[in-house]
Amino acid sequence: MKKHAVFGAALGAVVGAMLAATAGATVAQAADREIVIGYQAPLSGDRSQYGEMFRNAAQIKLEEFNASGKLAGAKVAITFEDSKDDPKEARNIAHKFLDNSKIVGVIGDFSSTVSMAAGEIYAAEKMPQLSQTASHPDFTKLSPWQFRNITTQAFEGPYNADWIIAAGKKTAAVIYIQNDWGISALDGFVSGFKAKGGKITATEAFNPGNRDFRSILTKVARQKPDVIYLAMFYEEGAAFAQQREQLGIKIPLYGTSSLYSPKLIELGRESVEGLHLATTFTPDNPDPAVQTFVKEYAARFKSEPGMFAAQAYDAVGIMLDAVAKAGPSVTRESLRDALAATTDYPGVTGATSFDPVTREPAKALAKMMVKDGRFQVVTGP
Amino acid sequence: MVFDVFFLQQVINGLSIGCVYALMAIGFTLIFGVLNVVNFAHGEVYTIGAFVGLMVITAMAPPLLAVVPLVLAVGAVSGVGLERIAFRPFRRFTDEASQKSRAMREATLLSSLAVSIVTREIMMHIFGGDMQGIPSGYLLQQPVAIGPIMVASGSLVIFATSAVMLGALQFLLYRTQTGLGIRAVSNNQLGARYVGINTDRTIVTTFAVGSMLGATAGILVGLYDGAISPHMGFAPGVKAFVAMVMGGLSSIPGAVACALLLGVSESIATEFLSSGWKDLITYSLLVITLVFFPQGLFGHGRERA
Repeated sequence: MKKHAVFGAALGAVVGAMLAATAGATVAQAADREIVIGYQAPLSGDRSQYGEMFRNAAQIKLEEFNASGKLAGAKVAITFEDSKDDPKEARNIAHKFLDNSKIVGVIGDFSSTVSMAAGEIYAAEKMPQLSQTASHPDFTKLSPWQFRNITTQAFEGPYNADWIIAAGKKTAAVIYIQNDWGISALDGFVSGFKAKGGKITATEAFNPGNRDFRSILTKVARQKPDVIYLAMFYEEGAAFAQQREQLGIKIPLYGTSSLYSPKLIELGRESVEGLHLATTFTPDNPDPAVQTFVKEYAARFKSEPGMFAAQAYDAVGIMLDAVAKAGPSVTRESLRDALAATTDYPGVTGATSFDPVTREPAKALAKMMVKDGRFQVVTGP
Repeated sequence: MVFDVFFLQQVINGLSIGCVYALMAIGFTLIFGVLNVVNFAHGEVYTIGAFVGLMVITAMAPPLLAVVPLVLAVGAVSGVGLERIAFRPFRRFTDEASQKSRAMREATLLSSLAVSIVTREIMMHIFGGDMQGIPSGYLLQQPVAIGPIMVASGSLVIFATSAVMLGALQFLLYRTQTGLGIRAVSNNQLGARYVGINTDRTIVTTFAVGSMLGATAGILVGLYDGAISPHMGFAPGVKAFVAMVMGGLSSIPGAVACALLLGVSESIATEFLSSGWKDLITYSLLVITLVFFPQGLFGHGRERA
């Protein structure tokens, strides 16, 4: 009996505390509504460096936005969750975000595979999702709730293919990372290259985490293609270029925009000289918006922002502008509609518009090559 | 199939990567041998070796040969610490039942995994998940031409180091009193204790030696690879484990031979298959070995208690 009394008292206290908490929350809401954006990204595990860049860039943009007074009567916050670049984790996070009624929109995830795993849930439960980097063609086809502000490999592949053909190079070998993104990069480039009359001598996949490309290089060099096209990230790109140099192979390298990072040159050094790629963001861009971002990022995080940080910065900007457009009473539905109406968002990765039907972004790419130890804009082929 | 210079180059590529696996497999197998339990944290010792090496290089720019003794010392310290945290607590009962208990021994499988995860996350916190570049003066990446074949200087260094390590270990194990102790504990821990061997000290020595080798492997592979990250220990750790199992679990020369075999098979397989399939080759070899040679290719066939 005594036990029951103690239990009853404890229960009473807990319920009381909960009621008080709810009441407190309601009061706060009446004063100034808190709107929350969920951000899921790999913050631990071996892709965590990307998640860190996203979080850094997002913090800068969020502070700018809240200070700008674009949205009166509400304050926006971003809550971060660590997806570990794992589809299972991403699904759990999706449910968690959906259960939080303050969350009206989600940014993330990093890779296409993980973004799509979470995206299936957001599609079914009607939550707008904007990925800064998921470039697999199927991502935006999931439902009208998926958006991205990165150009896809279906756009980038043919763009690079045209560039290579225009430079008078007719045969190419493609080395790609074995995941959804890598395969879409392969398809985009190969179809674009063949359509222009080019010939693909070999396509070679490697597993994520692989650091030894000597076998692939030896195999590919046998057929002597005019160029090697790399669909991979900078860690692998730097290792690939170094091992190419060690093996004395002189075939020029072209690559996807994912290689565009100051780290590629830091790790690859002289071996990445002459590598060509096309990208949306360059910190050397004299545009004042870009320069403000680059200076702020460098001042706070002691490193120069790369394409990934810029993508996240713009994704947060697009999302927040859509929130401002939908007003302080924003809902998941009204935010989706506001996102779909994004036209010429003046970001650091070029003006971004979403196609109202396919929700695919339109952007211009800058052609670059590594020269004298830094990325430089190339004019002409 | 084409037996041309490219094919020969593939064999050399395979030997280079096999040497990387072997370098790790040596320390791994030594530690397995004495306790008959997998030390999951070996990959982290390897990573610690690489990071400490890089820190010393960036801070003081010493000659490369001066880095090695320091990395050896750090390896020994981390090995002793690891044994203390993850393995010693499970040997605190000295009665016969606990000594023979499989569960007590295999619990260290999980405790070493826990130490490995905690260490890796701490390193991630301190250094970040990014790849860290090595100052160019220290890189072991100069191409060396042997006729039409190209190898990196690092491959030669790693090959030589593996050979020296293997030789030194064989000497230690079969020519010294300490080695006799290690072999006795490895053969029968309880029996060794009954005949008066200080098993704890022997086990600590084994961890120290094994981890010294692991840490050296880490910095050498880092210099050869050109970049290090807190995750660098995982992939070669898995391959070293496969090599150890194929080699018969406690045979160090067996593990080295199998590591080279794995490297060469992966490399030659790339000629015929897409390289995305090369892990299939590794694990197929493992399965085939286990089916047809359950004791491993170089196993002694002794009973495991």
